[in-house]
Amino acid sequence: MKRATRSVWRLGAGIVGLACVLTAAGAVLGGPDEVPTAAAGAVAPGAAPGPGVRTLQAHLRAQPRDAGAWASLGAAYVEEARVSGDPSRYPRAGEAFARSLRLRPDGNAEALAGRAALAAARHDFPAALRDADRALAVNPYSERGLAVRIDALVELGRYPAALEAARRADARRPGIPVFTRLAYVRELRGDTKEARRVLELARDSASTRADIAYTATALGRLAWSQGGYDEALRQCGRALKAEPDNLEARECRARALTGKGEHTAAIAEFETIVARSPLPGRLVALGELYEVSGRPGPARRQYEVLGTWTGLARAGGVNPDLDTALAAADHGDRTDALRAARAEWQRRRTVHTEDALAWALHRSGRSEEALPHARAATATGYRDAAFLYHRGMIERAAGERAAAHASLTRALALNPAFSPIGAREARRALDGLEAS
Amino acid sequence: MFSHLIRSTRGRKNLASLVCGALAAGGLAAAGVSSALAPGAANASSHREAPLISGQPQYDTTDVYAFVSPDRPDTTTIVANWLPFEEPAGGPNFYRFADDARYDIHIDSDGDAQGDLLYRWTFHDQIRNGDTFLFNTGPVTSLDDPDLNITQTYDLEMMRLRNQHVISTTKIANDVPVAPSNVGKASMPDYAELRKEAVRELKDGTTVFAGQADDPFFLDLRVFDLLYGGDLSEVGRDTLKGYNVNSIALQVPSEHIRQSAGQPVVGIWSTTHRKSASGDWTQVSRLGMPLVNEVVIPLKDKDRFNASSPWNDADFLTSVTEPELPKLIEDIYKIEAPEEPRDDLVSVFLTGVKDLNQPPGVRPAEALRLNTAVPPTGEPKRLGVLDGDNAGFPNGRRLTDDVLDIALQVVEGELVGKKNDLGDAVDENDVEFEKSFPYVALPTSGSNGPLAEAAGNRSQLDGGAELTSGSATDDRTVLALSAGAAGAGVVLIGTGLAWWRSRRRGRWS
Repeated sequence: MKRATRSVWRLGAGIVGLACVLTAAGAVLGGPDEVPTAAAGAVAPGAAPGPGVRTLQAHLRAQPRDAGAWASLGAAYVEEARVSGDPSRYPRAGEAFARSLRLRPDGNAEALAGRAALAAARHDFPAALRDADRALAVNPYSERGLAVRIDALVELGRYPAALEAARRADARRPGIPVFTRLAYVRELRGDTKEARRVLELARDSASTRADIAYTATALGRLAWSQGGYDEALRQCGRALKAEPDNLEARECRARALTGKGEHTAAIAEFETIVARSPLPGRLVALGELYEVSGRPGPARRQYEVLGTWTGLARAGGVNPDLDTALAAADHGDRTDALRAARAEWQRRRTVHTEDALAWALHRSGRSEEALPHARAATATGYRDAAFLYHRGMIERAAGERAAAHASLTRALALNPAFSPIGAREARRALDGLEAS
Repeated sequence: MFSHLIRSTRGRKNLASLVCGALAAGGLAAAGVSSALAPGAANASSHREAPLISGQPQYDTTDVYAFVSPDRPDTTTIVANWLPFEEPAGGPNFYRFADDARYDIHIDSDGDAQGDLLYRWTFHDQIRNGDTFLFNTGPVTSLDDPDLNITQTYDLEMMRLRNQHVISTTKIANDVPVAPSNVGKASMPDYAELRKEAVRELKDGTTVFAGQADDPFFLDLRVFDLLYGGDLSEVGRDTLKGYNVNSIALQVPSEHIRQSAGQPVVGIWSTTHRKSASGDWTQVSRLGMPLVNEVVIPLKDKDRFNASSPWNDADFLTSVTEPELPKLIEDIYKIEAPEEPRDDLVSVFLTGVKDLNQPPGVRPAEALRLNTAVPPTGEPKRLGVLDGDNAGFPNGRRLTDDVLDIALQVVEGELVGKKNDLGDAVDENDVEFEKSFPYVALPTSGSNGPLAEAAGNRSQLDGGAELTSGSATDDRTVLALSAGAAGAGVVLIGTGLAWWRSRRRGRWS
């Protein structure tokens, strides 16, 4: 990005930051709920089971000493943020948990588990683990405590401990929150068959629209990641039947259409999605679809929005997350990408931080240095085509031709839709390897 | 807005200033952009934010009832309910039993806190056209009507146990139909007929039923507000009015379940097990006596209690002998708490009352204890034993027993000379119970119910009913949740109620 524009973005970021601060500073029970319109649209009615924020606020205005309701309100804010992506909910959630703990300092597992969930949502995984453990010390059967503990261990890269925690949670509180997490731990270890089986248990027991949509989307995403595009379409169709506006389900459908080579339909779907929620991964997917369809102009514009996104984030004092780092490594500022990936890798060693660091190093011309990280990323057996593609390209650059051939072949065999551009590069690289 | 910008051919600078303008205007509508300011708001693929709350009430027991059948005094009726707060209207809504669960009724015939008999229901979904979002495709006039797209059936097993191990299993019912959710007049013009069809008499003299029913529990949940110093001027409304539950009912010759005519007291409780991903069965709910998990067990122990068995109830003994509730009432309302240890509560909640429903050599455990030899009364009194009617709570529990008032009065010392008249001013269910098995009232129709009333009777789609998310999110739920969260919910009823009643009755003015 040129310097001149960047300062404009800084300004924008400042305004956004200010807006966020203002929102956050509003009293937890303050006036009307100003949910951003886009976010409001993203929350399907009945999205979260249990009482909604407004109901709890009304109850708490009348009964401000109800510690349980304060903890529920915090949890409802965290859930709202998860569904809508609106971070202004986090400070309010924190305040609600604090009030709950002031009212009931001892034996308040709900507030502790809620605070753990909030820390996880803010990517402070050590704090999430601490609070989850505190909650479980009070109530070993706390479903939220058990679930967040698994999340924290996964995100800290402690996979054997995560599996152990997931098994224990499954024995104590079988149900959708635990099943979905257990499935993910299995998937990260390369056991996609078991992951699918457990997700099917979750889906088959789901009765609310939100649960049906979430579990069917998870199944669709898993099928897509293993190249099962028809199955992915079936699952995401089921999710969309339950929640027609569910963006995750729509993204899953768009990616499945990409896999089936139906680029026009996939582009139309992604255009609708990024209009609502321009997350980096979605912008990249759309940009690459434009690119392989021979439309460089629109593609470039997606990458520009991506650049502004990163600029905004950084100006707001936030490290771009791994998705953003990966997107930037491919389509944006590589220095930024490397900085973000390295910072995250310093914080936690997971397959995802290893992969992002490997790729950012490689894209900055440091493939030798990238190689051990690329191999660490695939060491658990996790079957992810993007990881294998990154590893293969890095191996090729490091002169490991046989290994590169094997990795790239695996990536394309597993899920050639992982990235239209990546797949094209992988094929070219394979041709080159085979020709020489 | 964003898509328009993205697709436009404007230059970057232009886009930037536009976005800034939009943001400056406070329209964070470009939600994605604002999200960038929060790490984690962007759903990184590496951090899958799965839901932490899952609406699965089909595994939650709400109440258990056990009484000598008023119209067949040689039999005992047991009713257990699951899936609280079924909102009939605003849907159509339909509610199913879980098919990865075991719904169990345990019977302890000799008072040793171990089940001797176990009745186990397992449910199976039957879907006609594969579309699980469609409940019915036209008016339903019988349980095997092809217009009923989703039906459930159940198998019922009876197991005999010794030392908590199964020694024999008999399948006493196979593929019995469940009475469906009452989605509305257009879809189910004669619901009573469907109920009747779902009542089945088995070969061994047992009668069974499973299906939707009006929630028989009656109370004003707002009593729980007392806990936080709430104002009770408004209690006296049955906040469960118009909500349904999923009921399981069993009428069995009393001689099948009691030890002998000379030892006719049985202990009864329900458990729900859910199949875990590893294929094991995990107990996720347990319930015998009413309100124990709300009033007696401290909040932090609720989940542990749900996972435990009566055999280990000594673990919770101090919750009974040194209950929190009276202390809370004393703190807030200055009503003196009865002296501890509360042996009177042990007899009501754990052992049964001597010479009424206490089996010889009883091991203290939380269970509904019913003396099957006490004949039913023609005119049941809502306060049961407290009012001299020994055929009611805490000797078993009838549908009409006002357990909230009874429990509250007992906790506040009614049995140890501290006479009181506390309660929530809701004395009976809003709907009359049936005169014969399964006794529970017909469910509120989808054409009615709290939501429909609130919305001014909305019209039902004629014929075909579609799934809606079965999670009630109105204030009643919240109250219920916080009541649960209050642990000592009922508490507050204490003085506030007294005060409220005094105002109403002008007794203590």
